[in-house]
Amino acid sequence: MTEEVFVCSPSIREQRFLLECAVVSNDPVAPSHYRMRLHGPEIAAAAVCGQFCMLEVSKTLQPFLRRPMCFERIHPPTFDVLYKVEGEGTRLLSQFLPGQRISVQGPLGKGFPICSGVRRHILVAGGIGVAAMPALAEELVRRFAAVPEVVLAARTRDDVINEAFFRELGCHVQCATDDGSWGHRGLATDLLEQLKPEAQDCVYACGPMPMMRAVAALTAASGAMCFVSLEAQMACGDGACLGCVVQAKEEREGERMVRVCLDGPVFDARVIDWEAQDDNDAD
Amino acid sequence: MTTTPTDLPRLEVCVGGLRMKNPVTTASGTFGYGQEYDRYFDVSCLGAVTTKSITLQPRPGNKPPRLVETPAGLLNAIGLQNVGLDAYLAEKVPFLRAKQVPIIANIYGKSADEYAELARRLEEAGAADAIEANLSCPNVHDARRARGAVLVSQDCDAVAQYTRVIRSATRLPLFVKLTPNVVDIREPALAAQESGADAVCLINTLLGMAIDPETRRPKLSNVVGGLSGPAIRPIAVKMVWDAAQVLKIPIIGMGGICRAEDAVEFLLAGATAVAVGSMSFRQPDAAVAIIRGISDYLVRHGFSDVCQIVGKVRL
Repeated sequence: MTEEVFVCSPSIREQRFLLECAVVSNDPVAPSHYRMRLHGPEIAAAAVCGQFCMLEVSKTLQPFLRRPMCFERIHPPTFDVLYKVEGEGTRLLSQFLPGQRISVQGPLGKGFPICSGVRRHILVAGGIGVAAMPALAEELVRRFAAVPEVVLAARTRDDVINEAFFRELGCHVQCATDDGSWGHRGLATDLLEQLKPEAQDCVYACGPMPMMRAVAALTAASGAMCFVSLEAQMACGDGACLGCVVQAKEEREGERMVRVCLDGPVFDARVIDWEAQDDNDAD
Repeated sequence: MTTTPTDLPRLEVCVGGLRMKNPVTTASGTFGYGQEYDRYFDVSCLGAVTTKSITLQPRPGNKPPRLVETPAGLLNAIGLQNVGLDAYLAEKVPFLRAKQVPIIANIYGKSADEYAELARRLEEAGAADAIEANLSCPNVHDARRARGAVLVSQDCDAVAQYTRVIRSATRLPLFVKLTPNVVDIREPALAAQESGADAVCLINTLLGMAIDPETRRPKLSNVVGGLSGPAIRPIAVKMVWDAAQVLKIPIIGMGGICRAEDAVEFLLAGATAVAVGSMSFRQPDAAVAIIRGISDYLVRHGFSDVCQIVGKVRL
């Protein structure tokens, strides 16, 4: 591992669109989980894996803010977003019908860096974090003819999403569930540990904070590169409101806080101060 | 009916010496330093750009979480994270100057002298066309507040003192931004006017709080924050109207403006200009539609100049 902190690249493009996109489909894929396919040629052409868009879930002012959604797949002229219905915004999103239009702002943020010379690409997804991974896996396969290792963790068998997709793409897939109803009973990090990441490997993670913290610790110990895709409450999605910041380990250019929307959502795991991150634990 | 350019109503306003080609600016903290939004529209079409608060030194701001969505609005406790004066001058001003859009520089200081220094240095550097003194940020805990003091703009004597000190440091148009968290908005507004302010900006955010029942913890790390968005608009309109009854200096109205009709409401209540705030988060080019919509409204109602509707609510 180099000492230099990797500043995530696929070049942040200045191109932004604010467009009404047609809903192609919006179907349930698991309990409370939906996939929306949108027709947006300009956005799909400009987007890279790991970036996100902001969807206007209602024409009324309630809910007020757009909802950030990462690109699950980018297949110009369409792109997909995968979401879990958790609140009013995602509930409204789930009611869109094919043919309806929705205002989309994007592509936003910095995506996953695509590094050459990597021995193994290991994708680790927990829960709805799996939404960030299909576009990345496709890019790795397309670019390097790689055979990514994929670790999918979910509560139960019903919540495991995209397993067949990753297998068909040629990935080596392992699953973990909290209740043991599918694959390994336990955590994503148990499976990652068994894969024994090494310095030439690159791990990409998206999921709950405790999982990402553990992945960051595990990869730091092994010397593997690690990139995480973070989530945060955000208002503008594009660097202005400063609402979505997370604490970085060290000051960079005088800033201790980094913006999930513009500096991320994908970060080198070494940049993030994992101890400072809140798990939002209910007791 | 088609309108030729000469039929278009006049939108130009003068706010305390600042000429704006239309009455629409941006609310501080919702528009970065302008460049963030130039990806979505040409910001030179605005009457002015009001910057994020500038402080003498860079500020890291509050710990996250800093934002929570609330009914028809949001609560924030950013804590004045900003690049500081030097970086503002070096990195932000050139873009805005190249755009030839008037700059309303919002400033925050830990003391009256700091505000004065900011105003002086901004004027010297040609980095502002007007100063907006933020005497009302609810989310910072400076030495003054640590001593138990309220926000500057909750104390009329402090408003008067700060305004006088800043006034003596600059010849730029001086705007004072006030908090709505007061019993009677007319009092601090009059204090600002009598101490040399050229305009007042109404309103800053309302203090608010949100608690997560599951964790039993506040949703903001700062515990409380400032509420903005359409949820607060009727309060803001009323405060602008209250203040307009007693002030001679103009008012820049803001608080939940989302559409042209909302902006017109503020103008009718007595604001000479308006600022688009949180709506820019939702719709980055909201201000463009609002400028166009004000013009359409004036045409529809047979007005030839936006000034004809300022304060003209029919009671």
